[in-house]
Amino acid sequence: MRPLVTGSAIRGLPVVTIGGGEDVAEVRDLIYTPEAGRVAGLTLNKRGFLAGRQREVLPAEAIHAIGRDAVMIDDERSLVLPDDAPPDVGAPPSGRDVTGDEVLTEGGTSLGRVRDVVVLVGSRGDVVGYEIETAAGGTGYIPLPAQLAISGATLVVPDATKEFVEDDLVGLGGTVDEFRSRLGMR
Amino acid sequence: MSDRFTAASGRSVVSRTSAEQLGELAHVVVDANLRRVALLVVGKRRKALLVAWDQVSGFGPDAIMITDENALYAPRDERERDAAEGNLELVGRRALSDMGNDLGNVTDVVFDPASGLLETIVLGDHEEPAASLLGAGSFAAIIRAPAE
Repeated sequence: MRPLVTGSAIRGLPVVTIGGGEDVAEVRDLIYTPEAGRVAGLTLNKRGFLAGRQREVLPAEAIHAIGRDAVMIDDERSLVLPDDAPPDVGAPPSGRDVTGDEVLTEGGTSLGRVRDVVVLVGSRGDVVGYEIETAAGGTGYIPLPAQLAISGATLVVPDATKEFVEDDLVGLGGTVDEFRSRLGMR
Repeated sequence: MSDRFTAASGRSVVSRTSAEQLGELAHVVVDANLRRVALLVVGKRRKALLVAWDQVSGFGPDAIMITDENALYAPRDERERDAAEGNLELVGRRALSDMGNDLGNVTDVVFDPASGLLETIVLGDHEEPAASLLGAGSFAAIIRAPAE
């Protein structure tokens, strides 16, 4: 059983220092690397009433854990200016937004369209699945292999994914390991 | 013998040299790295004064004795002003695990009044050893993730 959270639930979470117990920023958005199935980093907003975009970004390597209620970092030095961040985070290539992409199995069945990423709680940003809008207009959750073929508008997933479409995150949390072991991963 | 932050709140602070009552204990500020009491805040709001733990000569059940009234001082920097205003008080503070999950609120802290060392962080109906306290600030107290 893996605890999971959607990207939209991560947006707005406070970024908190472990040693200081202070909220130094809040999550504006996820910088997602679809080919690697991981979050490369986070963009940030300032905390408080005058909240606006914060220039600094948070590379995934400097994240201690993405939790349900906060993103934990060691201290404020984890926040860096884009120029000082890895290129993946400081200047991410455009066209990486997977939202709206069609999900096709290798056998050519459409499972729906991507609505959000699903992140492993407690990780630095491991994306283990997607929330999708199914063809029938409902919400589904699919597990992801570690790597997958992706173009601008379509991503291709193994046929087995069909059997693992879940109605909720709890369901996905229960089957993501089984899915991956079926594919011969870890 | 252990004491508790909630029990000590409001206790008289007395000068050992002049026997004068200097005020009441308003807040306790901890050093999360040393897991020890760092400062006491005496009196409230604009009249709040601080005293360092090493100037406390006896933390008793009925009164807190400090070396003398000159050991009390007004806040000197932003952190001390925060402390004086109670913004660093552990009791009532939100508790977060280092994995980013809510653990409720800190409801009390058990400590050794002789050494000032913290013993237990009380989180409502469960407790964590003070050794699991990783940080404490105005936003949250950070507790090493309990085994699930």
